[in-house]
This record gives sequence, structure tokens and C-alpha cells, in this order.
Amino acid sequence: MSPENKLRLELLQSAPLNKWIALSEDESKIVAIGDTFGEVSERSDLAGCSDPVILKTQEVWVPISV
Amino acid sequence: MRLPCKAFPVSDGPHVCSARLNVSIALPYENAPRTKRFDAIVDSGATRCVLNADIGRFIGLNIQSRKLEETMGIDSMSKVYVHKVALYVPGGPINIKAGFMEGLRVPALLGMNGFFEHFIVKFEVNELAFEIDRVHRA
Repeated sequence: MSPENKLRLELLQSAPLNKWIALSEDESKIVAIGDTFGEVSERSDLAGCSDPVILKTQEVWVPISV
Repeated sequence: MRLPCKAFPVSDGPHVCSARLNVSIALPYENAPRTKRFDAIVDSGATRCVLNADIGRFIGLNIQSRKLEETMGIDSMSKVYVHKVALYVPGGPINIKAGFMEGLRVPALLGMNGFFEHFIVKFEVNELAFEIDRVHRA
């Protein structure tokens, strides 16, 4: 696994469950956490990150079957 | 465009890797503001693109104002409301009809209608990577 992917994995492991989170543009740190997409979008702006990547953490980290 | 698969944790075991693309959406009008980029699963098993209703509300959609569709998930039926949106992907925006689902556990699924019809997608699971090439129609 690349160092970038490893760092990102560690970030996700440290993030609260069942939340929307915003990662920095290079996905190297968490810049905002919220209960809705809008909340985390606004909070990432307030954190000075205008181009984050927004994800939703799972209630439990399990493999997804889709 | 070749992209690495991304690693996701598993609570009681080793991590898993998944083909994900960062995308954004907007209302399908000129100069409509785009959302920030969000994580979407490249899902060849999905008939159409399905997005978390929360993202739709953020761009101003009245989610339940449009046609309700029932969809079959892995083990149960789900309801989505279909709206027209502009999907921002590599190569430029695409106007699509996407299903918006309340309580979707991920931000988005990129499915056959709306995504795969516009890209040649090659999964290279053993390389933990995937490749997408935009199909530009005349």
C-alpha cells in the first residue's frame, strides 16, 4: 500500500463513526466533521480548506457489498 | 486515467480496497454552484447512479418532489427519488438522472446509467487500481 493510502487509512480508523468528514485536498488530514453534508462542507470552509474531499464514515467498518 | 484503489478499515480484520472516485454535483443549469468533491463508489452492479439524499438537499433539491422508484438492493427493496443533476467527473460534467436515497450509508454509487455509459472502466484488482477512459459521443 502506498504511504498516502496508509495515512488515509489511519485517518479513517481515527475518525468518529457514522459522521460526514472532510479530508484535506491531498487527503492527508481531517479538516472537518459534521452530521450532514452541508455542515461538514461549511466547516471545511471555516477551517480554510476550500477543496476538500467529503466522505461518510460507516456505523461499523465492515466490507461493503453493492 | 489510472487511479489507485483506496483502503478502508474493517473493524475486526484487515483493511479492504475499493474503486472510488471523487466527484461533485450541481443543479443542471449553467453556472449552478457545485458541491465540494465527495467520495463515490464505482459500482458496476448499480443500475443507475444513487446519491445520498443529504447531498441533494445541499444543492437545493426538494428530494421527495420527484418520481419515486423502488430499487432492489442486495437483500431488500429501497426507495429513491429521481432528479436531474450535473455530475462533475473527469472530462467534464454530464447531465444525468440520479436516484437520491435517504439514509444511504455512503455518499454515492456510480452505476451503469449515468456513469458507466460514459466511461470505459477497467478494474485491475490484483494491482489495486482501476482505469477510466471517457467515451465522448458526437
